[in-house]
Amino acid sequence: MKRHQMLSILAAVAASVATSTAIALEIKLPQETAMYKPSSLPGYALALQNCMTCHSAQYVATQPTSSSRQYWEATVKKMKKPFGAPLKDEDIPVIVDYLVKTYGAERAEAAPSAARK
Amino acid sequence: MGEQHNPDGADRSRRSILKGGAAIALQGTLGMAAPAVLAAGRTIEMPFENGQRELVAFPQKRPLILLTSRPPQLETPFEVFREGAITPNDAFFVRYHWSGIPTNIDPAKYRLKIDGHVANAMELSLRELRKIADPVDLVAVNQCSGNSRGFFDPRVNGGQLGNGAMGNARWTGIPLRALLEKAGVKAGAVQVSFDGLDRSPLETGPDFVKALTMDHAMDGEVMLAWAMNGKDLPFLNGYPLRLVVPGHYGTYWVKHLSHIQLLDKPFDGFWMNAAYRIPANDCACVPPGSAPTSTVPIGRFNVRSFITSHMQDSIVPMGQQVVVKGIAFDGGHGIQEVAFSDDGGGSWRAASLGKDLGRYSFREWSIAFRPARKGTYDLRVRAKSRSGEVQPLTANWNPAGYMRNVVESTRVIVR
Repeated sequence: MKRHQMLSILAAVAASVATSTAIALEIKLPQETAMYKPSSLPGYALALQNCMTCHSAQYVATQPTSSSRQYWEATVKKMKKPFGAPLKDEDIPVIVDYLVKTYGAERAEAAPSAARK
Repeated sequence: MGEQHNPDGADRSRRSILKGGAAIALQGTLGMAAPAVLAAGRTIEMPFENGQRELVAFPQKRPLILLTSRPPQLETPFEVFREGAITPNDAFFVRYHWSGIPTNIDPAKYRLKIDGHVANAMELSLRELRKIADPVDLVAVNQCSGNSRGFFDPRVNGGQLGNGAMGNARWTGIPLRALLEKAGVKAGAVQVSFDGLDRSPLETGPDFVKALTMDHAMDGEVMLAWAMNGKDLPFLNGYPLRLVVPGHYGTYWVKHLSHIQLLDKPFDGFWMNAAYRIPANDCACVPPGSAPTSTVPIGRFNVRSFITSHMQDSIVPMGQQVVVKGIAFDGGHGIQEVAFSDDGGGSWRAASLGKDLGRYSFREWSIAFRPARKGTYDLRVRAKSRSGEVQPLTANWNPAGYMRNVVESTRVIVR
């Protein structure tokens, strides 16, 4: 097929594809700004290495600060199975310790967490 | 790992597939550069503990409440619902599960595959898909299963959403049934599964695939939609094609729909069998803090209503008549009645219902309110569907934080 024929066919196809446009749509997502809270706990570096691979830090940071160690442990384990994160078993309790002490119920500044309503 | 500042990395391989082949002259982009001002952007405080959020403008979107950046999860600021019964495309909420989302789609090359238990497995272009049946329009609410999760008491984990993970739009597409008929469903097909272009970032997690029963898929209402409020779907709402499952939670409204499979046995994937399940009882609820003994996949919306004209602590002048307005919706019976209370539920009177845009749509309502004294008023609305379902006065609870529909309270201050 000659080039100009192909182009006119493509143009005809494209014109009938979409109501308003027939061009490829490309989006550029905004820069990600959320970061894990720095900590001297060894789990901090592991969180950066592991958790940030697949999702932004708000998944952790927006959870209720009353979230228990049990919750964080179940969640990190869920990331390994079934979600398939390549986490080393020995790293899991270290990450959990960082999360619950930085974002959860064992935060140093954790006051009795009366939820504001 | 070096990937932490490279949110595009995970979908590179799929993008190259989507862009594959000779570049053609029709290529174009939105040309949207990443806004540089985001880090210093506005914030909003959601009315629950740990509720500070940024307001960030994603492509084709006005600044929305940023729940997570990667994958994008955006909530509609509640004030938007004041604009009317239809939620603007640029304010419509966004929810993804995996961060491997497409960022470049050429509609001329897009294909929808249908296979499995069918006589004619097919791969259709958008153009071919549109020829299958006359287009249909339907106004329908889409709502996240976890809309309002942040208000659960006791709190539950998961996406901490306010009330803005919902929206109402006019969807244009063809009935799913028309495609299934063309493909020729074989006897013995019991379910239909739906997959989109989004993938788990390392492709090691369970792909986000949802399933409907055969009867549901063939009901003539489930749609393959390419337009929303008369325009192409916004990219982040599933461009160029998504499933619309009227009256059902958004989890079923698969975006960037790419593969439909007819199954001769029930689908057994994670997102049906482990996630998005509710207690198997009428209220989809259990005593707070407890676990259900049996669960079923989430299904239809329960009935809800909201005041949209006044926000918490709005000021209302004493002795003057104002009009309180809002919206109500349910899982598809339509709204029968909206009752309004200005005394915290002590007494109720019927609001006037607005234009009926269809039984899956937001239904606007309004009522005159003339406060006779100064002080605070506890305004409430309670909707009743045409099936007789009414909103509960106290909140139901379940461990996943789904299906909140308690009668909401909006405090206004009369001066």
